[in-house]
Amino acid sequence: MRILVVEDEPDLLRGLARALREEGYAVDTADDGEDGLFKAESVAYDAIVLDVMLPSLDGWQVLQRLRATRKTPVLLLTARDRTVDRVRGLDLGADDYLVKPFDLSELLARLRALIRRSASEARPVIEIGDVRLDIADRSVERAGQAVVLTAREYALVEYLALHRGEVVTRSTLYEHLFDENEDTLSNLLDVHVSNVRKKLGHDFIATRRGHGYCVEG
Amino acid sequence: MMRFPQSIRWRLQIWYGALLLAVLAAFGFTAFHLEKARNLRRIDEGLHERISLLVDALRAAPEHGPERGQERGPEKRPPPEVHLTSAQAAQFDERAGYYFVIWMQGSQPIAASAHAPAGVPKPDGHDSVARMRGDFRESFLFAAPVNCVLVGRSIAGEQSDLRRFAAVLATVGAGVLLAGLGGGWWLTTRAIRPVEEISATAARIAAGDLSQRIRTAGTDSELGRLALVLNSTFARLEGSFGQQARFTADAAHDLRTPVSVILTQIQSALARERPAAEYRETLEACQRATQRMRRLIESLLELARLDAGEEPLCRSACDLATIAGEGIELLRPLAAARGILFLTDLSPAACQGDPERLAQVVTNLLSNAIDYNRDVGEVRISTHGQNGMAELVVRDTGIGIPAEELPHIFTRFHRANKARTGGHTGLGLAIAQAIVQAHGGAIQAASEPGKGATFTVRLVA
Repeated sequence: MRILVVEDEPDLLRGLARALREEGYAVDTADDGEDGLFKAESVAYDAIVLDVMLPSLDGWQVLQRLRATRKTPVLLLTARDRTVDRVRGLDLGADDYLVKPFDLSELLARLRALIRRSASEARPVIEIGDVRLDIADRSVERAGQAVVLTAREYALVEYLALHRGEVVTRSTLYEHLFDENEDTLSNLLDVHVSNVRKKLGHDFIATRRGHGYCVEG
Repeated sequence: MMRFPQSIRWRLQIWYGALLLAVLAAFGFTAFHLEKARNLRRIDEGLHERISLLVDALRAAPEHGPERGQERGPEKRPPPEVHLTSAQAAQFDERAGYYFVIWMQGSQPIAASAHAPAGVPKPDGHDSVARMRGDFRESFLFAAPVNCVLVGRSIAGEQSDLRRFAAVLATVGAGVLLAGLGGGWWLTTRAIRPVEEISATAARIAAGDLSQRIRTAGTDSELGRLALVLNSTFARLEGSFGQQARFTADAAHDLRTPVSVILTQIQSALARERPAAEYRETLEACQRATQRMRRLIESLLELARLDAGEEPLCRSACDLATIAGEGIELLRPLAAARGILFLTDLSPAACQGDPERLAQVVTNLLSNAIDYNRDVGEVRISTHGQNGMAELVVRDTGIGIPAEELPHIFTRFHRANKARTGGHTGLGLAIAQAIVQAHGGAIQAASEPGKGATFTVRLVA
């Protein structure tokens, strides 16, 4: 899962990025509205955390322009807590709204919910064969036994599970699992796929030659 | 609301009713008495006419007329005969309603007309010529050749006419009074209505709805002007309440961001064990956020103190050049860090003021000039005194201020760029302005966008 954080307060941006990376997300950052809009338009993020008070373009403007091209779930982050501001944000196309100061755990929970909803997944638990995936506490079980995955492996499983039944291309996976700063060697993905197969069974991820990967629903 | 004695409407009504009643009573009384006097005068004229007629007739008769064998009175001197022509006699018949009685010395009449009422007493005074006796009006004359001639008539008809007239007057008066009271009630209701509207609006405003206004359409009266004055007062109140609310919201807003930094940094740091360097990073971020909150809180308290006028400015003679010089030394390292050069031209500029507060104005303006300057820019600081004024000018070579921003730069929490930029509280210029104004001085900003901004402070020497 790849997330864009747009925030102009450097310490808050660093803190958020660190927390999100540690949750296994690939995180890109932008510290003003223009940069944020450029990134949001050029990459298919799974979610965007967008501050409202930004230099160059403010959060409202970024949201308005982004909605012309993309449906990426957006969580607005702002110190403005009046109802009119929330209504305005939601009406402009924001998917959720969080008022500063917030608890990190709440931000993470809302992001998980946003990503799940955008994949039309109402329940936080997905069962595929004997594999059980709990998106809420990011745990995976196989035949009732807890399986330990690295953050990146979990992200791969979660992405494929949320898009189960679809063939996901390698480039899509790269786009959603690695952030802008990572040197994406093309065999890195193969390593993760192979590790997941070792832990969850070889048949869990099917390879469609020339197309990509698929998890059967 | 309409308590009887306190209500203006009732008091007006009572006064109005009393005045109207007095006017009507005076008018009715006068009209009645004029009519009565006119009646009497008319009656008396008729009586006098007949007295003259009788006296003429008596004088025309011979004093010692021929004996006619008539009954004589007890007088020694025989009374004159009363000879009336038939036309004259007709003046005293039943139809005319007049009668006469004639006396010589003594109280027994010597002659009376046929219809004279019985027992008419002889008038005794010499000082009056007419009297009322019951329903009769009688006029008399003490004249030769007899002792007294009295002519009278019944005025019962006139009296009852007068009573009818009085009744009509009373009825009309009562009608006018009622109509007047009704009209007065209508007028006072109309006059009071704007007052009631004003009081109702004021009550709604007192209840907290500051957006309420009194309708002033078509009211050019004193109350209309009062409503306009009140409306403008309400608007000013609403404006200053709104400003206060915005200020509080802005202050809360600006405190939320550093609190978010601290919460996010700490919660993320506590999520797992970390190397010492990461903890240090977290602590440093928290320190920066806390410092920012401290600066903001200090600025807010400073403004609150200036607003409340709590601490009276201690005024002493000081030199703006010295104060500026100290401020420049204080901030030189900060400017040097960005390669910004201070160029000074400090002539003595004596002024009256609180040196500590004025030093804050200088440091606020200089920090502003540094922060909004380009790297390796310049800040020119000059002071001079002239014409009883002390002037401080701070000119930078920064990005300048767009014309549409200029009127707002002294507004609290206004920032040229909407976002948070570094260590700014957004209150520095507002505080500088508050201090200068507390000194009775003025602060102005001018700018050529792209080339820099100029701030000028003028104080009374």
